[in-house]
Amino acid sequence: MGDERLDLPQGTLDLLILRTLSPGPLHGWAISERIQQVSREILHVPQGSLYPALHRLERGGWISPEWGISDNNRKAKYYALTRKGEKRLAAETRSWRKLTGAVGLILDMK
Amino acid sequence: MLTDLRYRLRALFRRKDVERELDDELRFHIERQRETYIARGMSAEQAARQVRLDFGVTDAVKDECRDAWGVRAVDEFARNVRYAGRSLAKRPSFAIVCVLTLGLGIGANSAVFSALNAIVLRPLPFPDAHQLVRIDQYEPGAARASTFAAPARVEDWHRMASAFRGVTGYFLDDLTETSGEFPERVSRAWVAPRFFDVLGVAPATGRAFTAEEERFGGPQAAIVSERFWIRRFGAVDDGRRRTLRIGTQFVPIVGVMPASFTFPDAGVDVWSPSAPDAPYAQNRQATWFVTIGRLRSAVTAEAGEADLNRVQAALGQQYPATDARLAVRVAPLKALTVGAATRSLWMLFAAVSLLLMVACTNIAALLLARNAERRREISIRYSLGASRARVLGQLLTEAMMLACLGSAVGVAVAIGGLHVLKTSASGLPRVDEIRLDAALVAYSLTCAAGAALVFGLLPALRTTGSTIQQGMRQRHTETPVTTRLQWSLVTIQVALSVTLLFGAGLLIRSFDRLTRVSLGFDPSRVLTFRITGNWGETVDFAALTRRLNATLDGLRHVPGVADAATSLATPGVPFDFDSEVRIQELPPEGNRRIVASARVVSSGYFSTLHVPLVAGTGCADDPPSPGAVVNRSFARLYLTGATGLGYHLQELLPDRRPAMSATIVGVVEDAREQGLSEPPRPTIYWCNSAPVPSPVFLVRAQADPATALADTIRRRVHEIDAGRAVYDVRPLAERLDDTIAENRLRTVLLTAFALIAVSLAGIGLYGTLSYIVTTRRREIGLRMALGALRRETVLLFVWQGVSVTTAGCIAGVWLSAAAGRGLAGMLYGVSWIDPLTLAGVMAFVIGVGIVASVWPAVRAARVDPIQVLRED
Repeated sequence: MGDERLDLPQGTLDLLILRTLSPGPLHGWAISERIQQVSREILHVPQGSLYPALHRLERGGWISPEWGISDNNRKAKYYALTRKGEKRLAAETRSWRKLTGAVGLILDMK
Repeated sequence: MLTDLRYRLRALFRRKDVERELDDELRFHIERQRETYIARGMSAEQAARQVRLDFGVTDAVKDECRDAWGVRAVDEFARNVRYAGRSLAKRPSFAIVCVLTLGLGIGANSAVFSALNAIVLRPLPFPDAHQLVRIDQYEPGAARASTFAAPARVEDWHRMASAFRGVTGYFLDDLTETSGEFPERVSRAWVAPRFFDVLGVAPATGRAFTAEEERFGGPQAAIVSERFWIRRFGAVDDGRRRTLRIGTQFVPIVGVMPASFTFPDAGVDVWSPSAPDAPYAQNRQATWFVTIGRLRSAVTAEAGEADLNRVQAALGQQYPATDARLAVRVAPLKALTVGAATRSLWMLFAAVSLLLMVACTNIAALLLARNAERRREISIRYSLGASRARVLGQLLTEAMMLACLGSAVGVAVAIGGLHVLKTSASGLPRVDEIRLDAALVAYSLTCAAGAALVFGLLPALRTTGSTIQQGMRQRHTETPVTTRLQWSLVTIQVALSVTLLFGAGLLIRSFDRLTRVSLGFDPSRVLTFRITGNWGETVDFAALTRRLNATLDGLRHVPGVADAATSLATPGVPFDFDSEVRIQELPPEGNRRIVASARVVSSGYFSTLHVPLVAGTGCADDPPSPGAVVNRSFARLYLTGATGLGYHLQELLPDRRPAMSATIVGVVEDAREQGLSEPPRPTIYWCNSAPVPSPVFLVRAQADPATALADTIRRRVHEIDAGRAVYDVRPLAERLDDTIAENRLRTVLLTAFALIAVSLAGIGLYGTLSYIVTTRRREIGLRMALGALRRETVLLFVWQGVSVTTAGCIAGVWLSAAAGRGLAGMLYGVSWIDPLTLAGVMAFVIGVGIVASVWPAVRAARVDPIQVLRED
C-alpha cells in the first residue's frame, strides 16, 4: 500500500478485466483482487467503476455472466470471456504493446 | 448488435430482476471484502467502515451501472412523465382548462380535416382514380353549355383516341318494380361497353358483361347492387341463378357489385348493357351518354383533351352534318364530383386552423403564468445541479402530456363533430366516405405534437432562461419581459378572433341577404315529386304527352289540390339549360344574339307557383301550335318594350330533339328560377308538359301542410296508371332550402368557431390580467395606502385590458382584410371589406375585452393595503 499505488490510465480498465478473465470465469470481487495481486499491489481498481465497466462489457457482448456458487458457498455472478471478448483482448493487447513500446523508445532516446 | 438489444430490452422490461441481480452482486462484493478485512485482523466495525470507504456511495455506483445498461433516456422520460403527472394533478383546474381548450381546438381541426381528406384530398374510390376523366361535347359559341354524346360517337372516340385506355358512357333510367302494394322505383344505369373496365371495378360475385351481351340482340343480362341483392334475395348467395322481372321480360342477373361501388350515384341498383350497334343507337344526333374515360398513364387531362379534339375534327370531316361543329372538353372526374364543396371545406379548414392557433396561444399564456409561479422551484432545481436541458425536458414533458390528453379529448370531439357533419350535410358529395380512421387519430396526434411545441417551448425557454439568482430574488416583483410576452400572446388571440369573427359576420350578413331575397314565386304549400317513366317512351312523344296530361288532369281533381303542373326542372334550383333563338318578327341586328335561360313547363305552371302574368296567358293545356312564355327581362331586353305576343321564336341549335319553335303567348314577371343567389335572367318558358318521361310534378295544396297530400296523390296516381310509382316526394320549400344548405352549414360552423375563438381570447385576457393583479398585489396595496381611489384602480386595469384588446383589433383588421378577400367568392350582397361588419365585430370584441377585464380589476381594487403590507 501507500505510495506505490497508481491510478489506472484512462481506458485500460476494460483491457485489464478482459485479460484477467482469459484463464477462466471470475466474479467481480475476484477480478479486482487478482488485478491487485498480479500488479503487486500497484494497481488498485476503483470499486465504483469496476461494476459499471463489467455491465458495459456484458452489454457489448465481450463477457457473459453466469450465476454460480463461490468458494465460500455463496451465490455470485461470474463473468466469462466470450469469443468476441477474446478477439478484442488480442487486438487491444497488440495495440497496447505497440503504444508502450513506442513510448519507451521516446523515453529512452539519447 | 443483437446482444446489445436483448440486454437493453431485458433492462427495460425485466427491470425488477435486473435490479435484484445488481443488488446481489454488489452485496456479495461487500461481504467478501469485509471478510477479507476481518481475516487481516480488523474489527467488524473497522472492516465495515473500510469497505464503505473503498466502495463509495452504493447508490452512485448503482446509478453508473444503470447508465451502463443504456436505458437512461427511457428512465428519465418515465421520471419526467411521473413528475409532470404529479405536477398537473396538483393543479387540476389548470390541467382541465388546458385539456378542454386543446381538445376543442384539435377536435374541430381533426373533424374538418377528416371531411376535407375524405371529400377533397383522397382519390375517388377507383384504382388509379386520377386517370379517370369526364368527357363533354359542346358547340363552341353556342348558348348551351354542353350536351350528352351519341352512342356511335362514344364508340368512335374509344376507337380513335390514342390518349385513352378506354372511353365509355352511361345514362340513368327508372324501372318499376311491381311486387309491393305500390310500385317501387328502381334506378338503373344503362352502360356503354367497357363501363366496368374503365372504372376498374369488377363485380364482387359473378362477372361483368360479355361481348355478346353488349351486342344488339345478344343474351339479356343485368348486374345489380349488393344492397338490391340483399333486399330482394337475402344476404346468402346460394349459387342459384336469379332473374330480374322488368315488365314482361326476365333478365338474368350475372353479377353483384360490391357495396363500395356507388357510380354513377349511390341510388343505382341495376346496371344494364346499352348496345352501341342497336339500330336506334345509330343517330349521331342522339344525346344519351354521360361520357367518362380512363387516360393512359402519364397522360394529362389537357393532353387527353387535345387528342380527343383531333379525333373530333376527323369525325367532323367524315360526318359534316352532325359532327363538324362539336368540340370536346375533358376534366378530371374528381373535380367534377367534388366541385363546389372544395372551397367551403378549405375555408373551414383555414378557420379551424386559426382556432387551433388561438387555443395554443391561450395555453402558452397560461403555461407562462404558471411557470412564472414555479420559478423559485425551478431555481432550486438548478442550484441542486439540474442542467437546463433537464429542466427544459421536464417542462416540455408536461406540455406534451397536456397535448396527449388534449388529443384524446380532441378525437372524441372530432367523432362527435363528424357525426353532426354527416347528418347535417348529407348533401355534400362523398359525404358517406367520411370515416373514423387511423388517419384521423394520426392527424390529431400530429396536431397535438405540433401544438405542444408551439405552446410548450416558448414558456419553457423563457422560464429556464433566467439565472438562479434572478429566480431566487424574485418574490413579489414580476419580470416585465414575461408580462410583455403574455400581453403579446393575448394580442395575437384577439387578432385571430377578430379575423374569424369578421369572416363569420360576412357570411351571416350574406346569408341573411340571401334568405330575404324575393323569389318572384311562392314555394309554400307546393309539393314536388316524380312519377316513374322510361326513356323508351320517347319514341312516341305524342303518347307520352297524352299520358302526362291525363295524370295532370287527374291530380287537379284530387280534393285539396289547388293546381298542378309539370316542369323539366325544379323552380329555384340551378339548371344548366340555355336557348339561343331567332325572333322571326324582328330583323336581325348585326351580330346581336338572343340567348336566354330556358325552362320547359306545362299548363298551370305559373298559377301553381303564383308567378303573376304581365300580358297574355300562360301555357295552354292542348295548344293548337307550340307556345312559349317569356319573362319581363326577356321582353325588356329583346322585345324592346313590346309585349311580343304572337311573335315566333325559333331555336338555333341544329341538334334539338323535338325541334323547339313557338309562338309567344304570354309574358310573366321575373322569378329567381336559377336559385336564390342568381338575379333573374331573360327566360323562355317553352310550353311542353312532356319534355322527358319523368318531369318534376308541382302540386299546390289548398291548405298546409302540403305533405299531407302525399298519400292521396300516390293513390290517385296508382288509380290512373297502376304500373307507375310516385317517388322523391318533397315540399318545394325544402328543395329550395337544400340549395342553400351548404351555405348555411359553413355560416353556422364558421360562426361557432369564431365564437369559441372569442371566448378563448376572453379567457386568455381574464387569466393574464388576474395573474398580473396577483403579482402586483404589493404595489396595488402601496398605491391604495398612498391614497389611490378604488375607482382609479379599477379603471387602471380595465384600461390595460381594453388597450390590449384594441391593439389586437387593429392587428386583426389586416388579417381580416386577407380573410375577407378569401371569402369574396362566397358572399352575396355584401362586400368582402364591409366596414359595417368590421365595426360591429370590433365593438363586440372590445365589449368582450371589457367584460373580461372587469372582474380582475375589481379584485385588484379590493386589495386590503394593511394586509398586503403586513405580509412582508
